[in-house]
Amino acid sequence: MTTIERPRYQVIGTRPIRPDGVEKVTGRALYGADVRLPGTIYGRVLRSPHAHARILRIDTSAAERMPGVLAVVTHRDLPAVADGIQNLGETAVNVRELAANLLADDKVLYHGHAVAAVAAVSPHLAEEALGAITVEYEVLPPVLDVREAMREDAPLLDESRRTKNIAGQVVGERPSNIAMHHRFEAGDVEAAFAKASVVIEREFRTKMVHQGYIEPQNATAVWNQDGTVTIWTSTQGAFAVRGQVAELLRLPVSKVRVVPMEIGGGFGGKIPVYLEPLAALLSRKAGGRPVKMTMSRTEVFQATGPTSGTWIRVKAGADAEGRLLAVEAELCYEAGAFPGSSVNAGAMCMLAPYDVENFRIDTYDVVVNKPKTAAYRAPGAPAAAFAMESVVDELCRALKMDPLAFRLKNSSREGTRQVSGVPFPRIGHEECVRAAMESDHYRSPIEGPNRGRGVASGFWFNGGMQSTVLVAVNPDGTVNLIEGNTDIGGTRASLAMQLAEALGIPYEDVKPFVADTDSIGHNDVTGGSRTTFATGLAVYEAAMDIRRQMVARAARILNLPEEDLEYVDGGVQSKSDPSKRIGFKEIARQQARTGGPITGKASLVARGVGPAFSTQIVDVEVDPETGKVTILRYTVVQDAGRAIHPSYVEGQMQGGVAQGIGWALHEEYCYDEQGHLLNANFLDYRIPTALDLPPIETVIVEVPNPAHPFGVRGVGEVSIVPPLAAIANAIYDAIGVRFTDLPISPRRIVEALYGGKEG
Amino acid sequence: MPTVRLPALFRERCGGATAVTVEGSTLGEVLLALDRRCPGIFELLVEGGSIRPELAVAIDGETGSYLLDEPVPPGAEIAILPAIAGG
Repeated sequence: MTTIERPRYQVIGTRPIRPDGVEKVTGRALYGADVRLPGTIYGRVLRSPHAHARILRIDTSAAERMPGVLAVVTHRDLPAVADGIQNLGETAVNVRELAANLLADDKVLYHGHAVAAVAAVSPHLAEEALGAITVEYEVLPPVLDVREAMREDAPLLDESRRTKNIAGQVVGERPSNIAMHHRFEAGDVEAAFAKASVVIEREFRTKMVHQGYIEPQNATAVWNQDGTVTIWTSTQGAFAVRGQVAELLRLPVSKVRVVPMEIGGGFGGKIPVYLEPLAALLSRKAGGRPVKMTMSRTEVFQATGPTSGTWIRVKAGADAEGRLLAVEAELCYEAGAFPGSSVNAGAMCMLAPYDVENFRIDTYDVVVNKPKTAAYRAPGAPAAAFAMESVVDELCRALKMDPLAFRLKNSSREGTRQVSGVPFPRIGHEECVRAAMESDHYRSPIEGPNRGRGVASGFWFNGGMQSTVLVAVNPDGTVNLIEGNTDIGGTRASLAMQLAEALGIPYEDVKPFVADTDSIGHNDVTGGSRTTFATGLAVYEAAMDIRRQMVARAARILNLPEEDLEYVDGGVQSKSDPSKRIGFKEIARQQARTGGPITGKASLVARGVGPAFSTQIVDVEVDPETGKVTILRYTVVQDAGRAIHPSYVEGQMQGGVAQGIGWALHEEYCYDEQGHLLNANFLDYRIPTALDLPPIETVIVEVPNPAHPFGVRGVGEVSIVPPLAAIANAIYDAIGVRFTDLPISPRRIVEALYGGKEG
Repeated sequence: MPTVRLPALFRERCGGATAVTVEGSTLGEVLLALDRRCPGIFELLVEGGSIRPELAVAIDGETGSYLLDEPVPPGAEIAILPAIAGG
């Protein structure tokens, strides 16, 4: 661990057991599938067998007549919503398109698109009822590839769609699958290329991949007799669910209560709603019976949001001294059936590790007949970094320059302008590169045939947004920390630790609790690596609120003026005579006699987000007979700002790398020509297992974020950005083949080595 | 006076300028002043009295969802960029 200016902390930097640990390891933690309410009925969804088709007729009458079937809904049951952008907290969405994704309107746009939903007294009967629904389709040709979808003669998903700019203004005259075009540009790109000693230009492709969370989507909803709706669900953001459901069902948010259950992974994929509004509609039609819905793994793959497949062209030039002079790029991202890929985020991340003055990056958001994409851990960044960091590797080879020395020489730093024009605050990319260069891994030689080493850097913005916390002091001196962020990666612990540190009390005395949307002020999603940072800021402010009240109560107990008192090390003491002191627990015990319950609160929009960088090193061995790539050694270096709970920071670093390894080597959505998804299960869609992964070494760099009292930066996403390129670079080093298409599967390696194919 | 850095595809409205310095002490005043130099750009950026939800604004490097009455310090740098979301 590299540490810069580390203050002395009592709790921060330690590794206590997570508050929810015992419940989870003993199987007592309650997930969405554990919700069992009296009178529950079960919902199932009828999905399209076609990738692209016009719906001519839906007949649900036979299903409705089946004994035990209590409700059937189609798009006609959704309130009409206008075509308009709604800001739902973290993301802006077109609610009409959200509704059309929930239940297909006049067309189905991907294999698995929901067409109707049924609720019945048993899940089996609901399943059987789906077969009694008749849907008449006019099958249309699908378009499945981003580049083909951009052609003028491509089948159109929406004949009324015209290309727009980032402000939503129409800029294209003809109907098109290109939903959005944007450009980032600065300097004089052509003049800079003219000065370059080395110029590399390559095209890259990545496939659509899924987040692969273990727990499928689920929801139980009750339409109550008073017209309110209660929803229990697995989500990254209860308030985001509330907002989406309210918009889709045309309800005030005050009539929707969302109870977040424990969550078995999300990685960005559990921000959109899929089942929640359906369960609510079915419950209303079924007279207020609770409706429980759970997706199968096949449904998760077919119909929830994966990340984009991409086509990317990068041209980069450097001078003889290894200075990066210019970059030109085109990024084309599949949005899925409706607009909204993360292509602009990709563009804003790909050059972030570098201080380069001349660039032109064109971005295209393109609809195709695949599921609507959703966020996936640093959304948009890994594919863009795969392209850029591969080209940088080629530049380094042409210049005969150490790839980390190149990155250090060209590194962005505080004040470097991002491609958006926004200057960086204090960042830690240089520190990450230096730590990688000094690591035992990089200093150790890699030897042997078909073995190679690759490196890459990556960037993610991290998020701020809105957070609320309440803190209640109990008479025994413990405190309840009530917050509204789903705990995905250990945020109960990281928030409780910040509260304990700020109050100077033991971590074990903090009892964190994740509340529902009726019980706490607004909280944006657990996403964007924001919770430990942003909700941590709220926790700190609430702690200061408690400390002020503790001083006032101590003044009464000690019979001293408040001005003479200060809060020190978990107690209040006299500035003039420190022997006059009273501890936190004693003040807590006397709160009923000194003014009543002591509670603190804080609500804020978090400013001062600290961006994150990661630099990674990987050694591989390629079996030339089978094409199998074995990861021999992997080191991830990441700037955490301040690691509140180092074990959970390391877990995030390792988890992102594990997903990146899967993306690089194994994972892809496979479609036939008609647009049928062929591998919608974990047997055929191969995520890495423990057998595929070596121990992943972690090096936490701490360049404190000056805008956070403890220096926190988000840590949840950036580690997935470099692995794709790092592994491709290592494979080139091992066998001399430059792969520009992912995944680099055994078949592709064997073809490249023996079949005359490359990439 | 504040300086507004313009996205590449909006620059043609401002004679190709990458950045324009205008008067104003709030975000709304700055954007209205910008509109007088680059006609039509206010409507491009603002809808219904708010910055369009597809866009984000950075004031002196701090990206956020700002109201038009957000104070803008003298000499501040304002950037217009696409809104993004995390996972």
